[in-house]
Amino acid sequence: MIKKDKYKVEYLISLFISIAAALLLGGIIMWFYGKNPILGYKAMFEGAFNSQYRFATTLSKMVPLVLTGLATAVSFRAGIYNIGGEGQLYLGAFAAAYVGITFTSLPGYLGILIAVLLAAAVGAAYAYIPALLKVYYDIDEVITTIMLNSVAIFFTGYLVNYPFATSQGKMGGTDVIAEGYQLSRLVRLSNLNSSIFMVAVIGIMIYYLMEKTTLGYDFKMVGQNKDFADYGGVNSKKRMITAMLISGGLAGIAGAFEVLGTHFRFLQAISPGYYFDGMLIALIVKNNPLGIIFMSFFFAVLKTGSMSMEMATEIPSELVLIIQSVIIFFIAGEAGMKKIIKPLFKRGEEA
Amino acid sequence: MAEELIRFENIRKVFPGVIANDDINLGINKGEIHAIVGENGAGKTTLLKILYGMHKPSSGNIYIKGQKVKIDNPSKAIGMGIGMVHQHFMLIPSFSIAENIVLGYEPRKKNIFTDFKKAEKITKDLREEYGLEVDPAQKVEDVSVGIQQRIEILKVLYHGADILILDEPTAVLTPQETEDLFEVIKSLVKEKNKTVIFITHKLNEVMSISDRVTVMRRGKKLKTMQTKDATKEKIAELMVGREVLLSDLDRDDKKGSVQLEVKNIKARDSRNLRAVKNVSFRVRQGEILGIAGVEGNGQSELIEVIAGLRKLESGKIFINDQDLSNADSAEIRKNGVVHIPEDRLKNGMSKEASIAENLLMGKQYQQQFSHHKIHLDQKRVKKEAEKLIEDFDVRTPSSEVNAGSLSGGNMQKMVIAREFSFESPILLISQPTRGVDIGAIEFIHEEIMKKRNEGCAILLVSAELDEVLRLSDRILTIYEGEITGEFKNDSSLSKQEIGLYMTEKRGERH
Amino acid sequence: MEEILARIFNLSVIQNTIRTSTPLILAALGGLLTMQADILNIGMDGMILIGAFFGVLGSYFFASSFMGVVFAVLSGIIIGIFFSFMVVKLKADEFIVGIAINIFAGGLTVFLLRSIFGVKGAFSSDQIIAIPRIQMPYLENIEFLNIIFNNHSVTVYLSWILVVLVTIFLYKTPYGMWLRASGEYPEALDTVGVSSQLMKHFSSVMCGVFCGLAGAHLSLGYLTLFSEGMSADRGFIALAAIIFGRSHPVKTFGAALLFGFFDAVGMRLQGVGVPSQFSKAIPYLFTVIALFIIARRHLNKKKNNSMETVS
Repeated sequence: MIKKDKYKVEYLISLFISIAAALLLGGIIMWFYGKNPILGYKAMFEGAFNSQYRFATTLSKMVPLVLTGLATAVSFRAGIYNIGGEGQLYLGAFAAAYVGITFTSLPGYLGILIAVLLAAAVGAAYAYIPALLKVYYDIDEVITTIMLNSVAIFFTGYLVNYPFATSQGKMGGTDVIAEGYQLSRLVRLSNLNSSIFMVAVIGIMIYYLMEKTTLGYDFKMVGQNKDFADYGGVNSKKRMITAMLISGGLAGIAGAFEVLGTHFRFLQAISPGYYFDGMLIALIVKNNPLGIIFMSFFFAVLKTGSMSMEMATEIPSELVLIIQSVIIFFIAGEAGMKKIIKPLFKRGEEA
Repeated sequence: MAEELIRFENIRKVFPGVIANDDINLGINKGEIHAIVGENGAGKTTLLKILYGMHKPSSGNIYIKGQKVKIDNPSKAIGMGIGMVHQHFMLIPSFSIAENIVLGYEPRKKNIFTDFKKAEKITKDLREEYGLEVDPAQKVEDVSVGIQQRIEILKVLYHGADILILDEPTAVLTPQETEDLFEVIKSLVKEKNKTVIFITHKLNEVMSISDRVTVMRRGKKLKTMQTKDATKEKIAELMVGREVLLSDLDRDDKKGSVQLEVKNIKARDSRNLRAVKNVSFRVRQGEILGIAGVEGNGQSELIEVIAGLRKLESGKIFINDQDLSNADSAEIRKNGVVHIPEDRLKNGMSKEASIAENLLMGKQYQQQFSHHKIHLDQKRVKKEAEKLIEDFDVRTPSSEVNAGSLSGGNMQKMVIAREFSFESPILLISQPTRGVDIGAIEFIHEEIMKKRNEGCAILLVSAELDEVLRLSDRILTIYEGEITGEFKNDSSLSKQEIGLYMTEKRGERH
Repeated sequence: MEEILARIFNLSVIQNTIRTSTPLILAALGGLLTMQADILNIGMDGMILIGAFFGVLGSYFFASSFMGVVFAVLSGIIIGIFFSFMVVKLKADEFIVGIAINIFAGGLTVFLLRSIFGVKGAFSSDQIIAIPRIQMPYLENIEFLNIIFNNHSVTVYLSWILVVLVTIFLYKTPYGMWLRASGEYPEALDTVGVSSQLMKHFSSVMCGVFCGLAGAHLSLGYLTLFSEGMSADRGFIALAAIIFGRSHPVKTFGAALLFGFFDAVGMRLQGVGVPSQFSKAIPYLFTVIALFIIARRHLNKKKNNSMETVS
């Protein structure tokens, strides 16, 4: 087997072990809680799949995860860490809502298009700030993006409680967007809407960008060895900024879809940490676009299933958050554990 | 009467893929100044780090005063009176000099608090006793490199070291600071009965203060001699020579116009010290200009400046009569220059990328690989990669394998395959066969010769004198950032003569 | 106008500032110890949340605030050990682990809230004993000082004492100096025989302890209750305070007070119609601006240095 594939296979095995271990731990917790783990997991997976409504809900939860996962992947690939996607998401969501409540007389398609584009632009612009600070002032982008997250969340919170506060009730939200801009629901009563098709298209585009274009190649090289890229004539500074802009744009679009497809308005708590979930997904699959889709699906299953699991067995749905984080812990320590475990095996072979 | 204090017996140290110390037997006498010389990668530092407990030998023993000892960590070494001053100073920049000296062995007040006054007194006492001037209150980040070294020495003396190991102590010192250091070393040995082992590749220093000198090469110890019986030439020959006799290569004799010209180049290194002091030369089409010199004399910085990887301080660079003095790597490449870098892992390749991806660097926007400069034609990339792999004899099962899994020689062949396939008229080649096996060396030399015969202008920098002699038409020797000699490479040239120019300044011949 | 100003800036604002900044001070002290060891811990928010929960747990079941604090600190120690095991020993990425801890804390606390106490959202009970207040009789005579400094929870006074202790630890004891060395240049520490890894582990455990205390103050300090997500991003504000205060305990203390002040004032400002979001955003904005100013200064210093050495 070629070395490159060998590493991939080893990693996949580690990933499966991590997931299995986390599920096992979850099962133990369920047992301590006095419930049958098998029933619990059965309820979880049934709850994600066994009706059109349930499956639709699972798919709808994938949308923000895939977008934020891709946003992370693009930036991390190029060696610049965009932890500020949550803030970019919020600003993008608000921008989309703004279009939806202000320019209400455009034909549906056009309105949606403008809303999404504006959201992407706003997200990208907001990501530009930490990118500049990093590339030209060497200011750690991890810290600046985390700080700017909160600034964006508070800013949009202000907007939506004061100048743009809705008159239709006191909820910390804008008015409902024009009906023509609301993405049509695909399955009755579920949140699944046409954004999933757009995300599929975007996913294919980003996959293409990252794996098949010269820009994607440049990103990869800058991220793997910046000195090599500079030596080879690639302007690493420019590339890193471009990657951040794309990343911010994707996060903004994620926000737009939450407004246009799910809530039809901007709400001050519109994202329960989607970007952090997406970030963890991208990190688990090492920024591989296909992997992001699969892992987003898996996480969406966990999220949707957890609700049904709770209804059927009274196990709190938050157990899923515990399982999620345990998977991350296992996979985060994977490289280190391999270094410790491997020599033990080797010694056994020599003896 | 020379009393043996330390004995290395059959010391062997193996790291993944390299034998750093190969069966070393060496004795160090009490009260002597013992120099250990060799090129980069000879294994000198590794050997002494074993003595200091920072590495464990793969096999072999160490005896101190005739007793076998196990030195598991630096604390144990310190306990045995062994101290080491590293090449890169181990000082905490934001701490004061006194705080650094007592680090780890701080004097205490009530056992929990650091007694700063005592630390200051200790520093002053050490200063008195050994004559090394330092101000205890100054912060390390504010003092010169020469003073930083004094701090390291005082630290080691504070630990009660009787055996001092100095790793390349003069690498960062000015000539005056070097002289001061030598006075200190001499007084430590004569007046305080210390034993000093120092690692260096500067032969002047060896001749000037050592009692005995040991030459190492590629992990092996070649010879230990009394310094009074040695000459710089002999030592240089042992250091840089190679056992294998390489035969002559085919050489066409057409010389064309000047392709590359540098004038009065001054450049600084990453420590902001002047590394290149005033270098000028020309390279013509169809010519290999070789720069011979022991590493650390400014060659690296010189090549980096020409290749656009380092800003020059002053001077001019002309490529094909165009002034490209301040151009970056991208522009230099556009003007027909390729570069085989000195450290391929640092900037010549990406370990995690596939061989095909590595071979693509610099060409990704060319018409044959990208449609409209956007879409990468992976099939063509792969095909070209496979062709290059075959043409340049890169041993690998496939072009999709991670470049990091290649052996050193094959990595280098990959880098050369890429750079040579640009068909550029000017080649900057630095240490082309470092870490490369003998078969690959032959191949690489032939490829370089081919390019020369095709009419390329080639600048070659190498610490391997045999390599420079084999390939170059003309040779410049470099020492401490200056060109010390220019030679035509014909039969009248002798290795000894060049070796000498490599190790001393202009006008310092005895 | 005077009336408005009087409403906003009066002594009770200062009193509030002290109360609100206490968890920030505690968490920031812990976080700066890890920062000094060159570890960026963005999981502090989760650590505070866990501390808050276990504080309530301990106090409830043992009917003692002391046990509450003990539980909070123990939970912090465990999480701190886990964090440094992953980051220092296994060399896992410090912010993946940090974010995962935040998610884990959110999930765990809510899960336990429901499985142990059987409630959703928040849990409160008379059986939870609050951290006692200290009343200093001689302060009662001076109204001004009385309002500001008297009658605070033990944790408030503890936080001030800890600022002093941490400063002494870092700058006056060998152990603190080793900790700083382990962050600044670990190899230099290893060559004199002190384990930089051990110092990093220690810093992480202490961070857990301090965040546990911060959490205990939140849930047992004035109100006795645990509510979902009650750390409310204080871990990130603490991080901002550390960066703003350049990882120095006294400056960080000042930053934490400043941010607490804005929080307290923010609530007042809301009363006169200024949106609370402005004051809430200030810690984060200020930090980014401060980073920018410092970086500018640093770059200029570098430019000047290299110009000087050209002869």
